[in-house]
Amino acid sequence: MNDLTSGPFFAGIDIGSTMSKAVIVDAQGSMRAYVVGQTGAEHRLRANKVMEDVLQKAGITLDKVAYIISTGYGRVNVPFADKQVTELTCHARGVASLFPGVRTAIDIGGQDAKVLRIKDGKLIDFLTNDKCAAGTGRFLEVAADTLGLDLNEMGRISLQTDKPVRINSLCTIFAQQEIISRLSEGQPLPDILAGVYIAIATRVVKLARQLKVEPPVVFTGGVAKNAGMVKAIETVLGTPVLVPQEPLITGALGAAILAHDQYNRLIKSGEYDAHREKKLSEARIDFGENGR
Amino acid sequence: MTEYFLGIDIGAVGSKAVIVNNTDIVASAVIPSGTNYVSTTAALKAETLGKAGLQASDIKGSSATGIGGRNAGADSYHGVIICSARGVSLNFPAARSIIDIGGQGSQVITIDEEGSVINFTASEICATGSARLLQVLARILQISMDQIGPLSLTATRPSNFSTSCSVFLETEVITRISQGDRPEDILAGIHRSIAEKVAAMARGFTLEKEVVIIGGGALDIGLVQAIEEKLAIKAIVPDNPRLMAALGAAVLARQSYSTV
Repeated sequence: MNDLTSGPFFAGIDIGSTMSKAVIVDAQGSMRAYVVGQTGAEHRLRANKVMEDVLQKAGITLDKVAYIISTGYGRVNVPFADKQVTELTCHARGVASLFPGVRTAIDIGGQDAKVLRIKDGKLIDFLTNDKCAAGTGRFLEVAADTLGLDLNEMGRISLQTDKPVRINSLCTIFAQQEIISRLSEGQPLPDILAGVYIAIATRVVKLARQLKVEPPVVFTGGVAKNAGMVKAIETVLGTPVLVPQEPLITGALGAAILAHDQYNRLIKSGEYDAHREKKLSEARIDFGENGR
Repeated sequence: MTEYFLGIDIGAVGSKAVIVNNTDIVASAVIPSGTNYVSTTAALKAETLGKAGLQASDIKGSSATGIGGRNAGADSYHGVIICSARGVSLNFPAARSIIDIGGQGSQVITIDEEGSVINFTASEICATGSARLLQVLARILQISMDQIGPLSLTATRPSNFSTSCSVFLETEVITRISQGDRPEDILAGIHRSIAEKVAAMARGFTLEKEVVIIGGGALDIGLVQAIEEKLAIKAIVPDNPRLMAALGAAVLARQSYSTV
């Protein structure tokens, strides 16, 4: 039981709108492996794939994983998960495990944005935007498409300037038009790109200010990988932000840590074996329906 | 001797001009706004004057409105809400409420019997509250803008959409097409989404009769019906709903001249 290499291990699977992530932690709650892949249309196949990949990366087999929690937009489509937990809870837990003193977390994903207030590692309040593409990763994708640039390239180019162009349109559809007009006016590309980041940051910070923004602030989600976006958030917020080394996996990491907690709880109450048996019989049926 | 006055409305999508004499509309024109409002204005004036058979020197006074109206070189500028109210009131003296579905957003306006604005609310710049979403849709479905309305009226099972953002709707429409939803049902579903947005904006307003729907969106009979249904009203649509603000501007130009 004390030999960490023989398990038990715990897994968190986060099926997001754009990306799927999986994390394995050991009995001490340390991360053993993680993977990130595109979600695609087939959530169930994707969940199987990220699970297989993360097991391989960790060098363990599925039977060594004692408890699995799924989270994210596609969490119901993870048939082998022991439990589903909302992404907000998982996210708060993951962020707090990486940055124990965190008070505010800003997460910008592929088609939503969330702001979380965290105290003592627990979620105390939150706001989300999933109604409007402005202020989400989608806005960046549209801008990148319009300009024929790759997302990372866009971030790098934007850092070349301190004079962002003002993008007036909050609506992504009109902003797209505005980007084209600014280009035709001969505005330099870095200034336009920096303006695009400021526009998204303004939208998200407006959401954040509806809650109280207290430092330290952690910035996560796929969009936090973009250097231009990090700078824009810091500029608009007026405070530096912390970005995890891999900002996509905080939800999956939180899910894995919660899986560990839940396992300990079930072991303590003596319910674990019964739970496991029940879960295995259900999973077999579910895999059967998938023709596997 | 007849006097002529010019009203110009440089909108986000279309630019409109109206020439009036002391009593009637003499000529009007609508052209795309483009990106250079100065040259747009010149082209618009030339076309309207040509239709009226007039010279620039025949125009006694002019007024402009709309997002680009300040660059139109007119004698005066008025806000688009005031101009729309004036134009509608002139055509429909009984009008008390106006719903304007423009190229970039929408407005709800209430007016008195003189055509003065009592109250109004304007949406933020949002494609879903505007006729812009219809353009996006026309492109995806490969139909022209004027086919949208009639086609949508043949819908039997309007599609349901989970989002109200035009960007996300674009993706969802494509998903619906792949699931076999018919174009008319998709259109009717989108009309409902826009009508919801308008209804949300009109909340807190008492829309007294007569209600007049104007702007480019009013050319879409399917959208007009969806708004009527959502708000439980019967609305009037002018023959040329895009011209109301330009007409109002022309009337304001005429008024300011006569009070000098």
